[in-house]
Amino acid sequence: MADEEYDDEEIILADLSDEELVEQMHDDLYDGLKEEIIEGTQILLDRGWGPEKVLAEALVGGMTIVGIDFRDGILFVPEVLLAANAMKGGMAILRPLLAETGAKPVGKMVIGTVKGDIHDIGKNLVTMMMEGAGFEVIDLGINNDVDSYLDALEEHQPDILGMSALLTTTMPYMKVVIDALVEKGLRDDYIVLVGGAPLNEEFGEAVGADAYCRDAASASSTGVAMVAERRAAA
Amino acid sequence: MSERRGRRRGGGGGRSGKQAARQKSLVAQAPYIERNVPYFEILDEAGLALIEHNADTVLEEIGIEFRDDPEALDILKQGGAEVEGERVRFPRGLCRSIIKAHAPAEFTQHARNPERSTIIGGKRTVLVPAYGPPFVRDIDGGRRYASIEDFRNFVKLAYMSPGLHHSGGTVCEPVDLPVNKRHFDMVYSHIKYSDKPFMGSVTAPERAQDTVDMAKIVFGDSFVENNTVTTSLINANSPMTFDDTMLGALKVYARNMQATVISPFILAGAMSPVTVVGTATQILAEAMAGMAFAQLVRPGAPVVFGTFASAVSMQSGAPTFGGAEPSQVLYIAAALARRLGVPFRSGGGLCASKLPDAQAAYEAANTLQSAALAGVNFMLHTAGWLEGGLVMGYEKFLMDADQANMINIMLRGVDVSENGQAMSALREVGPGKHFLGSAHTQANFETAFYVSPLADSNSFEQWQEEGALDCAQRASVKVKQMLNDYEAPPLDPAIDEALIAFMTQRKAAFPDMNY
Repeated sequence: MADEEYDDEEIILADLSDEELVEQMHDDLYDGLKEEIIEGTQILLDRGWGPEKVLAEALVGGMTIVGIDFRDGILFVPEVLLAANAMKGGMAILRPLLAETGAKPVGKMVIGTVKGDIHDIGKNLVTMMMEGAGFEVIDLGINNDVDSYLDALEEHQPDILGMSALLTTTMPYMKVVIDALVEKGLRDDYIVLVGGAPLNEEFGEAVGADAYCRDAASASSTGVAMVAERRAAA
Repeated sequence: MSERRGRRRGGGGGRSGKQAARQKSLVAQAPYIERNVPYFEILDEAGLALIEHNADTVLEEIGIEFRDDPEALDILKQGGAEVEGERVRFPRGLCRSIIKAHAPAEFTQHARNPERSTIIGGKRTVLVPAYGPPFVRDIDGGRRYASIEDFRNFVKLAYMSPGLHHSGGTVCEPVDLPVNKRHFDMVYSHIKYSDKPFMGSVTAPERAQDTVDMAKIVFGDSFVENNTVTTSLINANSPMTFDDTMLGALKVYARNMQATVISPFILAGAMSPVTVVGTATQILAEAMAGMAFAQLVRPGAPVVFGTFASAVSMQSGAPTFGGAEPSQVLYIAAALARRLGVPFRSGGGLCASKLPDAQAAYEAANTLQSAALAGVNFMLHTAGWLEGGLVMGYEKFLMDADQANMINIMLRGVDVSENGQAMSALREVGPGKHFLGSAHTQANFETAFYVSPLADSNSFEQWQEEGALDCAQRASVKVKQMLNDYEAPPLDPAIDEALIAFMTQRKAAFPDMNY
């Protein structure tokens, strides 16, 4: 779009109609403007919007567009990082309100790299994408053993457990974790997603995961779809 | 050739004799390439000095993390570094002075066949197969997890490739074997199925020690204590981090006088800054910290300055290969290693392609050429690499081995002797005729030009009659032929038995684990 189509006046979010504001927030998410997203979220709440409606229409709606353009190679990783960060800004306001209303959050995920593996760039990208999709993500960081995962599952009761590995020597540990879940009768309580460069679909199946996700974008879309499916079935 | 036949004037041997002679590669098996061409450099003195200054600033101000290894922190502290938690900061110039004082500029890596013992450093280039892929691919079986059978196959193919000087290390990851024991069969395969030098296990300190112990069975205890018989890969966990697994293996090898390749593993944009100079700065800082640490563990233990440089796609985060910017990093890092006075590792047939196709060929060629011109001493990943290193390709291996042959010829330089000048041919033929029949051509044609065993340069009609095969299909035929023709190099049965006994006893000593 040519520059002259913009006028120089700054946009005052509070002056916009609801419809215009939501549209503006989609653009602001796209541009990764955290302050503006926080402000817009607050304005909508002040105007009497319920937190669920703000989340669905303004934030998740905007991030869906971000996700599509990331997939299509229009948006670059550093831009999606900013968008997800802006989304988190809005979520920080909405989360306590959503909890008060008893509304089911979009989803919750516990994620970490497996024991012996300290390579976490991929895991961090997944965290970014999941947060972008409105998930609450509890990031256990690197080098997690069975107890670390089990404790976190117990404490946070997430919908999804995500495990990642970069090394062929560490990826079999995913089976150790899943076997422990089975043994404790907890396996069916969680959706288990696995990922990492040396994995494939066959490996995901072999270790007993619900899905192997080839990249951060597919982890996010798979996670959203599986949580929705699970809730519909419940 | 029949023995009953008499000798003919001028050689002879007839059809069968010539057929046998023409099967031989123009590239004879040698332990390394002795370089006789200049280095290609892209940065001047001021630029290189700036990077060195900035790398020292990184080491002094930001520091490097040495994780989960208190002993390493003690060693570094005693060596003069400032240790704060796991963060280690090096006074300006300290790493360089330690390396310059102790690290050898070049070293011999002994092979069990002395003719294959190689020298790493100086004007030499050693070409080494790809390292690390969990998957393999061939035309018939597609993409699948690698097995120990695949591992043996690649050791055999490397053994039979005259342009490759080294058997490599994890030529593919045999995921059919338990994680904590697969190193036995990997090391054994290198010893048994090849007589070229090889790389050791680095996935745990005790596996490094097993490698050293197996080498002692082959070379003898006292020999291994004072000579280098393995060169192993120690990756920095960039940015600016070494972990206890790598440090543990490094310490075992250094204490045993075995060589380590200290390699920052860079996917620029994610694990280093997006600029060439920023990336080169980080690489130099990380490599110097690792190499200085090795010298503090055992002064004089051979180290190689490693660089694995790729750029991530800013659109997807995926690693990319064959681009110009990683080649620029490679040229600069090679120059920095020369200034530091240590051997340099980088390069290889790197590509992101899934298949041995046009993308694979040009991406690989870009990096192979850059690495050769840059003056890489130890070129890991020369052959087989596909899909960002996730896949070892059978057909791709032969395509890259073909490139390796050409690198051998290119780096040897040109012949300026009387024969090379070819004045006799120019005088004999003169204007308007052709050189095909001249005496000089007759005397030189066989070895004048490298002929690729894979490239098809024939007429369209002949190519069509021969099945209209593409390069990968032709390579597939040759892979099968080579594995069929393979003959193992002789190994002293007593050594073989001792190796098997060692492995049997060690494998029985602890349970199989997959982590």
